[in-house]
Amino acid sequence: MIEARGITRTYASHGAFTGARTVQALRGVDFTLPAGGAVSFIGESGCGKTTLGKILTGLETFDGGELVVDGVELSRLKPRRRAEYFRRIQMIHQDPYSALNPTRPIEATLGAPLRMRARQTGADPAKWRERASELLTLVGLEPEAVLPKYPHQLSGGQRQRVVIARALTVDPQVLIADEAVSMIDVSMRLGILGLLRDLRSRLGISLVFITHDVATARYVGEGGELHVIYRGEVVERGLTDDVILTPVHPYTQCLLSAVPIMRGLEEPGPDRTAPTRALDERSPTPGCLFEPRCPFATEECFTTHPTLVPLDAGPASAARTGEAGAGTDTAANTDAETDTGAGTAEHQHACLHPQARRVVGVEIEVGAAST
Amino acid sequence: MTEVQVRDLTIEYQTSAGWLPAVAGASLDLRAGEITGLVGESGSGKSTLALALLNAVPEPGRVAAGSVEVAGVGDVLSLSGKQLRKVRGGELGYVFQASQNSMNPLKTIGKQLLDLGRSHEVKDLRALIARAKDLANRMGMDGDRVLDSYQHQLSGGMRQRIGIVFALVLNAKVLILDEPTTALDMLSQAAVLDIVRTVHDENQLSTLIITHDIGAISEIADRLAVMYGGRIVEDGPLLDVLRRPTHPYTRALIGATARITGDVDAARALPGRPPDLTTVARVGCVFRDRCPFAVTACADTEPPLVVGEAGRRRACHVEPSTVLSGTPGTPAAVGGQP
Repeated sequence: MIEARGITRTYASHGAFTGARTVQALRGVDFTLPAGGAVSFIGESGCGKTTLGKILTGLETFDGGELVVDGVELSRLKPRRRAEYFRRIQMIHQDPYSALNPTRPIEATLGAPLRMRARQTGADPAKWRERASELLTLVGLEPEAVLPKYPHQLSGGQRQRVVIARALTVDPQVLIADEAVSMIDVSMRLGILGLLRDLRSRLGISLVFITHDVATARYVGEGGELHVIYRGEVVERGLTDDVILTPVHPYTQCLLSAVPIMRGLEEPGPDRTAPTRALDERSPTPGCLFEPRCPFATEECFTTHPTLVPLDAGPASAARTGEAGAGTDTAANTDAETDTGAGTAEHQHACLHPQARRVVGVEIEVGAAST
Repeated sequence: MTEVQVRDLTIEYQTSAGWLPAVAGASLDLRAGEITGLVGESGSGKSTLALALLNAVPEPGRVAAGSVEVAGVGDVLSLSGKQLRKVRGGELGYVFQASQNSMNPLKTIGKQLLDLGRSHEVKDLRALIARAKDLANRMGMDGDRVLDSYQHQLSGGMRQRIGIVFALVLNAKVLILDEPTTALDMLSQAAVLDIVRTVHDENQLSTLIITHDIGAISEIADRLAVMYGGRIVEDGPLLDVLRRPTHPYTRALIGATARITGDVDAARALPGRPPDLTTVARVGCVFRDRCPFAVTACADTEPPLVVGEAGRRRACHVEPSTVLSGTPGTPAAVGGQP
């Protein structure tokens, strides 16, 4: 469906005092999203994940690499001809409070794109109301109650459902959910995540799920892949559960360690860790980008830039150091081994010293604990 | 020792339908040396309750009844003018919701700190600056650099920490944080929570954290109070409440949290939507429409907040053991979309 090959994006800024400086928002991101599949990108603020979402929806250009949609290389097309491909990819924005026009009732918000789409497909534009009701029912809202309302009359969760319904008006094949639940009450998040999962299974819509909250990525459904992105570079990827249970990149481990522990029900993982300092974009990183903040960095990490290699000691990683091989022995649990050869779902990492650590919380038996 | 005693607090807002209670008869204690987490969905009245601790309920709201006794100050709700101003930011430190955006973009952090000192008639402004730098350094920031910065030069996590510096620089004994981690990413959230715990312990504060994220709060709080529809429906020692939630709402809230461990399919979104001022039930239990355990009594009588064993309180007609075992129509059976 979507294939990204080495997408890069560099921003040049000219501050009045700081002088010219370039920021590499994306440094070569590849991924493949099959029809009905799900890929999650996690990372902290400023790691380039929102830029990626904008590139995928055509709201931002890329300056290197290639974006392939349904087998067509988009950079070869004239901008006008790209529109049809980007129609298939729709965005769900982060903030449902500002994503809807407050001066238009929901029927206007949904009606305009529905009529436009009907003209494209040759359907009867006058039937938009039926289609709007159908979409609202699909996202779990009562059409008659919601259509005449204005956004301020709806709750955050309801608004996000309207935003999703609006994205569905143009018959997309892919939804890009950029922090789609982070502005919503915790109690309503699972409902929205369940809806996205439902759209995948019922309509075969693929999902790109962009978030900083790893826990929510578990709820997007079967076969989801997790890509951990740091300063525009994917540092670890694999099936969501594999990466969460046996992370090998220290950055992934720091992110997972930061997930709050539900004390009383969970206890912290034995190897919980944290970055040694805050992100400083200005410090030089000729080697591993995470080296300045990495609790396990060595001399080699400062000089050698690691690239993504499979977790199983492939030729590339085995040739590098003996130590890396030793590290993967402990990490290569049954999950990783069974996934070998499963194409993109293979567990890969960009670390010179991969070492599986148990950093996420461990569930405790409530019955046993309370006695 | 109890630092803050909230008793029978009722706060009303004027609407087209008359005066409606956003907080109804809430009682809560903040004890010295303890972090209390106040959780609830949007519109549960938790921020309104916190603002009442400063006697700062905004128009068109009013405190209709109750008292807020702060140790060494008296009833904050009876103060006004200069006295009130002295207490706000003095004894009571408050970190506002989205405090990242509550700073003056035209002044450096240091200048804003001096404004704070002058408005509180601090004689020794140098000492104030020194204390602010010290606090900033202890929170892992470069104090000198931070005070010379404008807010746009700082990251979200740093601005949140500066909010805490502002709240504590006048030696507040009570620290109130409204949604301190909501706009932050996971790493900044973990760092801020860690700092809150550290400054709380170092200064022996009484801390109140307001949040809708029961997961984030469970990491650092000692006590948990759960609010729904303007009422405190359950509270008690955090570990005990999380392990044995005896109010259906608490139980549902824990079950609706996206977690990194456990069975993905076992998690359930809360059915229905949280009530607001106009839709909250006037008679009976405020949660009954969304409650899988509701019985006939719930429709007629509002359950009082009853003190139970081990410092716990709950407001529910259903037996605690029934809620714990989840037998009559478990929350799963209700399901449905909001």
